[in-house]
Amino acid sequence: MSAPVLSVRGLDVAFRVGRGARARTVRAVTGADLDLRPGRLTALVGESGCGKSVLTEALTGLLPATAAVRGSATLSTPDGDLELLDAPESDLRDRVRGRLLGLVPQSAATHLTPTRTVGAQLRETLARLGAGIPVAELMERAALPRHVLELYPHELSGGQAQRAGLAAALAGDPPVLLADEPTAGLDRPLVEHVTALLAGLADEGRAVLLITHDLRAARDVADDVAVMYASRLVETGPAAEVFTGPWHPYTAGLLGALPDAGFTPVPGHPPELSALPPGCPFAPRCPERERCSGDPEPVRHGDRTVSCSGPVGS
Amino acid sequence: MSEHTALAPRGTRPERTDGWRPAGRPRPGSPRGRRSPGRVRLVAGAAGLALLVLSALLVPRLGGLDQGLVDYTAIRLPPSPAHPFGTDSVGRDVLLRSFAGLWVSLQVAAACAVLSTVIGTLFGAVSGLLGGWSDRLLMRLVDAVNAVPHLLLGIVIVALYRGSVLAVIASIGLTHWTTVARVVRAEILSLRSRPFVDAAVSGGASRWRVLSRHLLPAVLPQAVLSAVLILPHAVWHETALSFLGLGLPPHLASLGTILGEGRQAVLLGSWWIVVFPSVLLAATTLCVAGIAAWWRDRSLPRRRSEQAL
Amino acid sequence: MSLRADAVTAGWRRGRPVVDRVDLAVPPGSVLGLAGPSGCGKSTLTRVLALLHAPWSGTVSVDGEPVHRFRFAAPAALRRRIGVVFQSPRAATDPRLTLERIVAEPLRAARVPAAETARRVAEVADLVGLTGELRGRRPHEVSDGQLQRACLARALAPRPDYLLCDEMTAMLDASTTAALVSVVSAEVTGRGLGVLAVSHDEQLLDAWAGEVLRPWS
Repeated sequence: MSAPVLSVRGLDVAFRVGRGARARTVRAVTGADLDLRPGRLTALVGESGCGKSVLTEALTGLLPATAAVRGSATLSTPDGDLELLDAPESDLRDRVRGRLLGLVPQSAATHLTPTRTVGAQLRETLARLGAGIPVAELMERAALPRHVLELYPHELSGGQAQRAGLAAALAGDPPVLLADEPTAGLDRPLVEHVTALLAGLADEGRAVLLITHDLRAARDVADDVAVMYASRLVETGPAAEVFTGPWHPYTAGLLGALPDAGFTPVPGHPPELSALPPGCPFAPRCPERERCSGDPEPVRHGDRTVSCSGPVGS
Repeated sequence: MSEHTALAPRGTRPERTDGWRPAGRPRPGSPRGRRSPGRVRLVAGAAGLALLVLSALLVPRLGGLDQGLVDYTAIRLPPSPAHPFGTDSVGRDVLLRSFAGLWVSLQVAAACAVLSTVIGTLFGAVSGLLGGWSDRLLMRLVDAVNAVPHLLLGIVIVALYRGSVLAVIASIGLTHWTTVARVVRAEILSLRSRPFVDAAVSGGASRWRVLSRHLLPAVLPQAVLSAVLILPHAVWHETALSFLGLGLPPHLASLGTILGEGRQAVLLGSWWIVVFPSVLLAATTLCVAGIAAWWRDRSLPRRRSEQAL
Repeated sequence: MSLRADAVTAGWRRGRPVVDRVDLAVPPGSVLGLAGPSGCGKSTLTRVLALLHAPWSGTVSVDGEPVHRFRFAAPAALRRRIGVVFQSPRAATDPRLTLERIVAEPLRAARVPAAETARRVAEVADLVGLTGELRGRRPHEVSDGQLQRACLARALAPRPDYLLCDEMTAMLDASTTAALVSVVSAEVTGRGLGVLAVSHDEQLLDAWAGEVLRPWS
């Protein structure tokens, strides 16, 4: 496998929520190890509230004002390695965002200025990034028809808005693309269309991170998958292996909950991120609890990792 | 959960011993660290207003103000240690009178603000909820009331009922409610098509229940904010009426009355009779505006860090 | 005995119907699926069936009785017989209320005594898997999945005869989807609840619904 272009090691993100007596510390990401490689689409899967979005915010330097981090996130650039967590705002603004890291935000329509046409905003983005790609080519990459350029954000359908967000993210031709829930609220055919677009971009040599709670969409296009639960990456590895033979009981539970698999929910609730139990966060709900030491540290077996001392089936 | 995290506001030295470092970047518009400018405004405004109100209540009493007592030996004395704001054309101490007048002005303004807000909220809520042609009709009524100059309408009302405090309150209250009505109606319109109203209707709620339990409480912050913003207007409006001699009766002298009486004195060189009450008026308005600004900023959508992950 | 729509035509702008002469019957004790792409009119039809929106023509009848008045004019007791769960739990809840209060709302509107309300709220919250600790929280303090559970509890609280799920699970992950579906299915078999499941997700409907209608294809 090729060398990773974005390498995250031991990432911890925490921040303060609330004021005075109601203040709590939220551990949104704990001990995350993740590699994004060129030419591969990695799906980051987890239910809403598990901390997935916070991970992308940490990588792009868009965390809320009260956040603190630990660990490293190293981006390989032609000019050497860049530590994203320590990079000053000027570096992030001028070198990283848009040029090295493209971000396709959740609910793209709300990230577009409502008073300007899509075309005007894309042209402005292109000019700002100095990329030199003609707008027409950008539209083609995002599979958007030409007439969308003249529309205002509120006139776009859900799918068009999402693809407009994708076009804006591609304006600087970044080698790494982070897509945060790009298919939320879209119809199945459109979900497949957008994920196919992202897979195509990965095939062109980019490293794509697809963040989603939609397991089926991930299963269709991902080369690698990372499963997140209560701020931890409980399992990572090549998608084909993980989806057919999951090691972590949570992954197995999620797969078993799909309509075509068994429709069996995982009993219980995920813990609050402000009150994580020590050790493995999944333990209270885990059917393998008896055979487990409760140690949540990730164990590596080849190109798969699992945060479980009692892998399913072993 | 026993880890110590160095969650320090920007600008302070983080502890690097356990590897944690601050990573949040304040974005334009969001408060930087703990001391946000809005808080300064609130503290200054609230403190100032509290000071002014307390003074308005206590100073005349402590100073032994008697509005009816005239002292022709002390006419139009400039500011001195005995009379810090000087005396007016009949020898009364301007300091004591100003604070007494401030108290009257505040009471009248508060009554006007409450009246305007109540009328405006009910109007806007009913209009927004009814929708259709009733809404359009009611809004044309709002436009009509708005089209008439406030002061003119106010003058007409007080001229009909000279010397009546209620007339003064009515003249201001009946002209300033239109902004509140518009704001409340806009809020109601945006809320009434949201699924949570549908859910309430499906649960068997009547129109009145939806309005009183779900919609009005949601617009309450906006309505109260409007009330607070009306206060300075009401103070100025009443001041104008009293200045023209059309406002409150002489025994209920407000700041406006004092300013009106001081008109002549200014031409004779006694600037203190007009300047000091005006400064009090401006200070009150600024304090109220400061509190209102803090409230308005605070009711903006929640900061990202407090939203669900 | 069913919730029926006969030749219902409805829409939002005069002259542009989004539901055109649709016939539909939701029988008790079963799940009827309604499939179609977004924007086709499924939600409008759902709102007509929930008596929230008056149709332009056609009849809606509940257990044989035709309904003549809709929304606020429809009898409250009749409205309570048909529960609705919407796609976005955040838009469907009042952000100032606790989850407990949200679930209790239909009971309070019906002037059920406080003790009985509290008992029923606890009962239905347990049914959907909403723990005691969560009940005192406000919507912004809980996740989408938990909030949608509360919305389902709210719809089930007055013991409706019919339940309309308008893209209930579209924003939820696989496990929460399976959990809510199993709660609804239990009510169907246990109490004879009649369910209309509206979704663009064919796989979900195939696994969940007995019969699937596709009036827009």
